[in-house]
Amino acid sequence: MTGSGTRLSAVGQAILATPKTLLVLGFVGSLAGVVLSSFLGKDGFPTLELYSQLLGSQVIQNVIVRTVWIAATVTVLCTLVAYPVALFIARSKHRNLLLVLVISPWLTSIVVRTFAWVVLLGNRGAVNAFLMSTGLIDSPIRIIFTPTAVVLGLVHVFAPFMVISILSVLLQQDRRLPEAGMSLGAGPIQTFARVTLPLSLPGVLSGGSIIYLLCSGAIVTPLLLGGLRDRMLGTQIFQELFELYDYRRAAGMAVILLVTSLAVVIPMQIIDGRIRRWTRG
Amino acid sequence: MMAGELEIANVSKAFGPVQALRGASLNVGSGEFVSFLGPSGCGKTTLLRIIAGFETPDAGTVQLDRQSLLALAPYRRPIGMVFQSLALFPHLTVAGNVGFGLSVRRENAAEIGRKLSDILALVGLEDYEKRRIHQLSGGQRQRVALARALITSPSVLLLDEPLSALDLKLRRQLQGELKRLQHRTGTTFVFVTHDQEEAMAMSDRVAVFRDGLIEQVGPPQEIYRRPATRFVAEFVGETNIFAAVRESGAVYLPDIRARFPGGRSLPDAQQLLLSVRPENINLLSSNDQGGVEARVQEVDFGGMTVRFSAQTMIGERVLRVAVASEKANDIAPGMPVRLGIDLDTAAALPTS
Ligand SMILES: Nc1ncnc2c1ncn2[C@@H]1O[C@H](COP(=O)(O)OP(=O)(O)OP(=O)(O)O)[C@@H](O)[C@H]1O
Ligand SMILES: [Mg+2]
Repeated sequence: MTGSGTRLSAVGQAILATPKTLLVLGFVGSLAGVVLSSFLGKDGFPTLELYSQLLGSQVIQNVIVRTVWIAATVTVLCTLVAYPVALFIARSKHRNLLLVLVISPWLTSIVVRTFAWVVLLGNRGAVNAFLMSTGLIDSPIRIIFTPTAVVLGLVHVFAPFMVISILSVLLQQDRRLPEAGMSLGAGPIQTFARVTLPLSLPGVLSGGSIIYLLCSGAIVTPLLLGGLRDRMLGTQIFQELFELYDYRRAAGMAVILLVTSLAVVIPMQIIDGRIRRWTRG
Repeated sequence: MMAGELEIANVSKAFGPVQALRGASLNVGSGEFVSFLGPSGCGKTTLLRIIAGFETPDAGTVQLDRQSLLALAPYRRPIGMVFQSLALFPHLTVAGNVGFGLSVRRENAAEIGRKLSDILALVGLEDYEKRRIHQLSGGQRQRVALARALITSPSVLLLDEPLSALDLKLRRQLQGELKRLQHRTGTTFVFVTHDQEEAMAMSDRVAVFRDGLIEQVGPPQEIYRRPATRFVAEFVGETNIFAAVRESGAVYLPDIRARFPGGRSLPDAQQLLLSVRPENINLLSSNDQGGVEARVQEVDFGGMTVRFSAQTMIGERVLRVAVASEKANDIAPGMPVRLGIDLDTAAALPTS
């Protein structure tokens, strides 16, 4: 962009104006098209008929609840998994190496990574084999094609985002702040709880927003690990579009997806902004 | 209450190839105000952090009231610290920052409230409890950091260049406040500074650091008048260093081929190294005998005293001279002067 840092010449701006306009028009235009089409009846008049139909359906209600629930669970689990990892990396001497390890899964495609879970979680997969060998279970339990499998898969895919988001905040933190806590008599746990953790909340919130958004719209993982019964909004839209060719229903669900995601993410962003404003000093 | 006596003996610390401390030793008495003074990178902060417990020394001992501190974690040491960057908690209010040490110790709310208003009154921040750190001025932040470190009544307070970020006027004001606060609380203060005037004005004793060692410790006057080494003499204040040869009843300075009477207080050696402060050089009138001829270079008028440089005719040494203003009314660049040296106030330095 032209805002900060390098300034573009007038010629440069003119050259970039066309793709910029096209991009904005294409994005905003198609989004507006989606939203509008969902509010128009088959006769071309504005109506809420589609929404009463969608929101009235038990199946769609379940899909919405499942989407919100899975996205929230994944976000919380990612935080729990990623925080200790980020903390460890921030304090390690081999920071760069560890960071590469964390993001190395991004070198393989999400489809391949998700298939690995199919192998692990299947009835004859490694997890069941292990559980049976320990004698905890007698016959294979069903993990694959359940919401549990979807949550596992999504946590695996998205946790690195959280690690990076938290890590970036931890690395920016003034090293003297925890020391100040200690000089005032706070042990490692109190220093963490009263200083390090609250100051890293912006990282948790931005990581959480990203993961919540990505989860709500996830398609590949729920499709491969969730099976046919436990759909999420993303897979539902995918099905309407590519299997049933019902663009209007797909548009309606896309709007619902947008609204439910924003309802969670916007408050998170507001809190995040407020904390950052305080902590900027 | 007698507490807060620090004994630091032969402390060494290396960071990889950098030897930050090479056997520093120092005793600080209870309730004493000691300053660490020295050039950048000489190990002042490192020693402070070792006392606080944030670094472990490679060798040496640190004792507080005759108990070794080295086995104690930083949060178990009764030692407060004011950081150079202040390190105030940006997510907490003034009350949250200042009360931090008490709430960590789980003191009850009433007690915390009482101590909080006491200490805030002491540093003059009564009405600021609810403010956040970013809503405070530099001087106010400074006071919050002090109050935060003092509220738990530590036996020793370590201060790492706490005033260096402030402008001169505020700095002078806070120096006074700091000194008064130290007096009121009876806390031992260890104060790091780059600013020798600050060290001289505030401290009971000054420790001059050089390259990982403490070169001299003493009251400010002693550091100034009786520097133990050439480094201390040159680092603290201005001085003129001369090689000197003792003669009967006089001292000869070969550099400027001049002979000055006196020097009975100087050591008995034949060859001497002398530190002569600018104020120990005086202007002789034209009909005086002896002294050394010189030509005035630049002149600084400083109110009560005039400081100037003068280059000797013989030897071309540039001397720093300070004389009372009324004796140097007409001093101007280019003027020839005759200078005398009061050898009885000169300090002898080790020759090696
Ligand atoms: N954590 C560290 N890692 C590596 N080197 C360090 C570390 N801390 C200090 N040093 C080095 O040790 C030496 C002493 O540093 P120290 O901070 O004690 O100096 P100082 O006297 O406080 O200097 P200043 O007046 O500039 O603050 C310096 O050469 C510094 O580069
Ligand atoms: Mg320092």
